[in-house]
This record gives sequence, structure tokens and C-alpha cells, in this order.
Amino acid sequence: MRATLAVLITCAGVVLAAGQVRAHHAFAAEFDVNKPITLKGSLVKWEMVNPHSWFHVTVKEPDGKTSNWLIEGGSPNQLIRMGVTKNTVPIGTELTIEGYRSKDGALKAVGRNFVLPDGSRLFLGGSAPGGTPDKK
Amino acid sequence: MPNRSFIRLTLAACAAALVAGMTLAQAQAPGYRAPRAPDGKANLNGIWQAMNTAHWDIEAHSAAPGPVLELGAAGAIPAGLGVVEGGPLPYRPEALARRNENRANRLKLDPEVKCYLPGVPRATYMPFPFQIIQSQKHVMLVYEYAGAVRTVYMTDHVEAPADSWMGWSNGRWEGDTLVVDTRGFNDLSWFDRAGNFHSDALHVVERFTPRSADTLNYEVTVEDPKVFTRPWKMSMPLYRRVEPNAQILEFRCVEFVEELLYGHLKKQSGK
Amino acid sequence: MNRRSLVSIGLLTLASPVVLSVNLAGQAPAASAARAVPAAKAAAPKPYTPPKTPDGQPDLQGFWTNSTYVPLERPQGVTKEFYTPEEAEAAIKAAAAREAEQTEPGTTADVHYDFSQFGLDRSQSTFARSLRTSLIVDPPDGRMPPVNDEGKKRAAERAAARKQAGGPYDAVQNMPIGSRCIIMGGAGPPLMNAGYNANYHIVQSPGYVMILTEMIHDVRIIPLDNRAAPDRNLRQWVGVSRGRWEGNTLVVETTNFNGRNPVRGASENMKVTERFTRVADDMIEYKFTIEDPATWDRPWSAEAPLAKTNGPIFEFACHETNYGIANILAGARAEEKAAAEHKKGSN
Repeated sequence: MRATLAVLITCAGVVLAAGQVRAHHAFAAEFDVNKPITLKGSLVKWEMVNPHSWFHVTVKEPDGKTSNWLIEGGSPNQLIRMGVTKNTVPIGTELTIEGYRSKDGALKAVGRNFVLPDGSRLFLGGSAPGGTPDKK
Repeated sequence: MPNRSFIRLTLAACAAALVAGMTLAQAQAPGYRAPRAPDGKANLNGIWQAMNTAHWDIEAHSAAPGPVLELGAAGAIPAGLGVVEGGPLPYRPEALARRNENRANRLKLDPEVKCYLPGVPRATYMPFPFQIIQSQKHVMLVYEYAGAVRTVYMTDHVEAPADSWMGWSNGRWEGDTLVVDTRGFNDLSWFDRAGNFHSDALHVVERFTPRSADTLNYEVTVEDPKVFTRPWKMSMPLYRRVEPNAQILEFRCVEFVEELLYGHLKKQSGK
Repeated sequence: MNRRSLVSIGLLTLASPVVLSVNLAGQAPAASAARAVPAAKAAAPKPYTPPKTPDGQPDLQGFWTNSTYVPLERPQGVTKEFYTPEEAEAAIKAAAAREAEQTEPGTTADVHYDFSQFGLDRSQSTFARSLRTSLIVDPPDGRMPPVNDEGKKRAAERAAARKQAGGPYDAVQNMPIGSRCIIMGGAGPPLMNAGYNANYHIVQSPGYVMILTEMIHDVRIIPLDNRAAPDRNLRQWVGVSRGRWEGNTLVVETTNFNGRNPVRGASENMKVTERFTRVADDMIEYKFTIEDPATWDRPWSAEAPLAKTNGPIFEFACHETNYGIANILAGARAEEKAAAEHKKGSN
């Protein structure tokens, strides 16, 4: 029984849908694992599009200049089913984004983590600026 | 002897009745009552298609050479009487300039060339059929072009959660007319190949009314205060595809445009 | 057998206390809590009569998901057809925990947005629950039948063509079909678990059943008028489907595939037969059979139930905002350029 359970747990762990595995692969081709980055900026626009959404963020450099970054996130479709709308994350929301920079040198990155000023991770556990997403 | 104000009032009433009658006649051929769907509503189920040149240009236009020289007459633009009611589109001046710029650069700028979703109402009059699948909670509009699809919510109306190409549609019945009220558009689709465009403030109200066993009247009110100085209307008949095996086929055009969009990023051999 | 075990288990959403506690708005909390039917209640099920549409078809309408933790093929080392409820629960718990796990910084797996932040891991949405150890029910060992010689030859030819085409990012045409936003696995047919957004909307009208697959807004309109298959020269990515009702079961046959998105290496002459039966308010029993003598010497079948879920299905416009393609190709060209310049420098 123990052996069976162990097999089950191991096997269950590798059951990733084919789509997800492919997605991992392509991201590593788009963004550089050797260029991790942490950005602090304010949200200009969250493009709630597919197959991946995009966060437009204005980042203030140490020298006072600003630069405009484009950060890749996930499909918004399940969040929409959970009550998230285009009004959930207001323009100007301060975000700390940990991720990896684009391979082609552009001001683009994939966002591994989107963290709000209070330390919570965006959308997780219903966290969004201003409280829980609108319930339907 | 009736006094002047009585005559004036009567004439006004007659005029109003005449206008009302004419408007009604546009919507529905007098005396036609469509068969019922099983739930008692007018039955709009079927495969429909527009038969005009609105997809080239929704305004009145002459025949003209097309944008691709090598296609010759096969790619030339047929004439059209126009589907927009009441003359040229009421563009704001800066918007008209942008429309003309769109038109001058249509091969580069027209979203149709890139196989992007066509938006509304362009999807209706693309030269491809679409199918209406009618149920009580949802009316589905399924377009052959690019496999575009719209869900018309007949109950539980909510606002668009986010912007999209085909918008967010709330529907209701007014008699035998299906009224579809759509907002929540992005600003990326066009109305035709002639560069006519809209902003993300676009609001479209479509009315589908049965006019005979095999035709619908399709009337559209378009409102977009960022682009136009006032709302405007278009209308056209839609014709049923009556072949016994008529069906929506695949026009999965993404593949057809990949070389166009990404060819310049291909690895060059020898490098 | 199958139906009894599936019905008596019922369907659980995230409300189960043994998995992650995150349960965002959008689920119907009362319904999901009430549906936590203990597995021990394996009594003979009451026969279920599905409601009917206004035109008299058994009603399959609504939002459904085939998201599941059950793999297509039975894992190596597992010989039985069903797990015990405890074993299944443990497997789901482990998979859910793994999906929510933080990846190791500096690894390829970390170069991705976090699925759980976008609600895309399986534990944050409805999934179809089953005690099966595999979706495949025939062959009885729960695994694909062996590929025959013709199938092996075709696989070799396809592999050779892929090799001929060059590296995976040499051109967009070398990238996976799904990444190119042409079609994704959830559309099928047969309907396969897409991994996330694994949702369907079924709408019926007289003479038709429509199935909308969330990714990529793929619609199959199935006519019920006994029409013949089209001429063999008309081929589609999703084939051409024709359906009929057999009692309360919708039987859909699909042929005329173009063979460009083969199910497990199938040929363009594959025939898919699907059977949809509403067995509970919140469940459709979905079975499919694949016949392709050009690949397998025998048909194979699977059962992958559809669980009721909530909408809406937001527009999954994919190609229109598929910035990743240009980014990936540009990134590959940039790397090649850098490598070439480095080489030049060291000569």
C-alpha cells in the first residue's frame, strides 16, 4: 500500500497537461534565465488579453528617470471567472515585480511574482488593491 | 369649420403616423410573422450571410482598382450604394484624418489582413456566412471568418469585465426583434477595408428582425463619441443559406498570415 | 461500473478541506460544500432523467470542464482500474501542492509567470473528479494500443520533416501549433484536458448542438439531421462532425481531419466517435473512441467526464495579441547574432 501510494504521488506529480509543459519551454526561449530582475513601478495599464496578459509598468530609475516596461503575466480568463475585472487593479498601483528579462534586450520581462505594497501577491487569496475582487 | 390649430394638430398627427408606419415597414415586411422557436420566441436559427460590398466600404463608393496590383480585376473593388444611412460618416475632424490615413495604408493597417478578429458589426457583413444558435439563456453568433464567435447573454446582464475584439453582448427581445447591445470593445478592429474605425468607447446596438422566411433585416446603431459627432445607423438584409447541407466551415486564417507577420524574423540560412 | 463509481463519488470543487485553502469568489460556495459526498456512499444510483430543451433534446447546456488530475494512460506500476478514495485523494493533494509550489530561482521552470497567481493551477477551479487510474478504458490495461507499422512509418516521416525544418525557433512554422494560436488540445475532437481554461460552453437549438471550447474560442456546430460526411477533399483541423441522439446519449462522429494536429500520431483518416450523456445535474459522462487502422490495429477508448463549472468564458483571442512569437523569434535571432559576433571576436 505504501509503495502504491509512493508511486501514485510521484506519478501524480509529473502529470502536467501538455499545454503547460510546452508553455514552460517557450518562456525560457523568450526570457533569459540568466537575467533575473526585480522592478518597482506603477501600473499604467493591465492588458487583459490572451494567451498571456501584459502589465505596462512605469519604473523609476535611481537617477530619477522613468522607463516603460512590459511584463508578461497569465491568461486573465480564470481571474475573470473569479470576479476580477478591468477595474480590479487601479491605474497607479505600485507593484514590485520579480522576473526575468527578455532575451532580445527590450524593456520586457516575464513576471514570476507580482507583489503589492502590503506584501501580498497579486490576486492570490483574493488580494487586490482595495480588497477582494468584485463578486458576481 | 375646423380652426387652424386643429388642422395643424391633425396634420402633425398624420405626419407622425406616416413616419412611424414607414419606420415599421423598414423593419418588417407588413404581415410577415416568423415561425416560432420552441420557446415561443421568433425563430432566428439558421445560417445567414450578407450580400453586398459593405466589407470593402460601408459608405457609398465607386468601383476602383484594388490595393494589390498582381490580383488585377480579381482583387478590384466593386461599387456599393452604401449601407450607412444618411450620407457620409459623421467623423470628428481629427478622426476623419485618421480614417483617411488608414485607407492610404490599408495593407499595413487593416486588421483583416492580419487575420485578426473582425469586431462588430464588420463580422456580420464579411463575405462569409455566420450561424445563429438560439437558446433561452444564450444566443450564439458563430462566424465562419476566423472562427469568430459572440455570446449574447439573454439573462443575467452584466457589464463587460474587460475589453475584447468582439465586445460583450447583452440581448433582449422586442417582439420578434432580437436586440443585441454590445460594449466593451477594444479599439483595434475596423468597420471595413476602407479604414473606417472606432475607439474603445464604441457602443453598438443591433436589431435582427425576420422579414421573410429566408431573410432578416439587420439594423445597427453605432455610437462612439471619441470618433463621431453623433450616432449613426446602417442597415442591410441578411440572406439565409438554403443549401440542404449548408454549414459553417473552417477559415482558420492564422496560418495564412504567419509568413506575412513573422517572415522577417526567420533565421536566414547560412548565418 | 464506470457510471456508478463516478456518480457515487460526486464532484468536488475546491471546497474540499484537504487541498489548498484558497477559494476565490466565483465558485458557488454553497453548492460545492453540499456536493462533498463521502465516497463511502456507494449505493446504487437513482436513475437520472435529464431535463429537456424546449425542442425535446436531452439538455446538455451549460458550462462544463474536463480539467482533471487523471492521466490519459495508466501510470507505470499501476495495474488496477480504480484507486481507492484515499489513494485518489492523496494523488490529487500531491499534484495540487506541486502546482502551487514555488519554483527554484535560476531554473528554466522559474522563467514563467506563477500559475497560481492567475488562478490557473487546477486547485483553484472546478475539476472533474474520478477514481480512475487512467482516462483510457479500452484497451483494459489503460494504455494506448501499440502503433502498427504504417503508424511507425508515418511517425518517422514526421520526425524527419521536423528535423529538416531546423531548430524550434528558426521560424514560426517550426513552433508548436498551440503556441502559434492555430488550435489547442481542448478543441479536439476528442475533447482533451487543456491544462487550464479547460472549459466548454454547450448550447442547443433545434437540430444542432454547439460546443464552444474556451481556447481558442473554437466552435463545433454539430448537425443532428443524419447528413453524410462531406467529400474527402474537404478537410478541417477539427474534422467535420455529425451527430444523432440515441436515447439520452448524443453520439457524434467526426471524420475529414486534415491530419496536421494528430491525436497521438493518428493519420488524417482517423475517425472519432464521442458519446455525451447527462448523468447528473452537474455531470456529463463523456466517452470517446478513436479508430485509425492506419495507426493502430484496434480502436481505443477513454472516459473523461465533464463537470459543471461556472462561466463566463471570456474571449480567448490568441493570435491577435500573441506577442510571444515575435519576442521568441527576435530573442533567438539576437542570441545567434551574439554568438556569431563572439565567434568572430575570438578568431
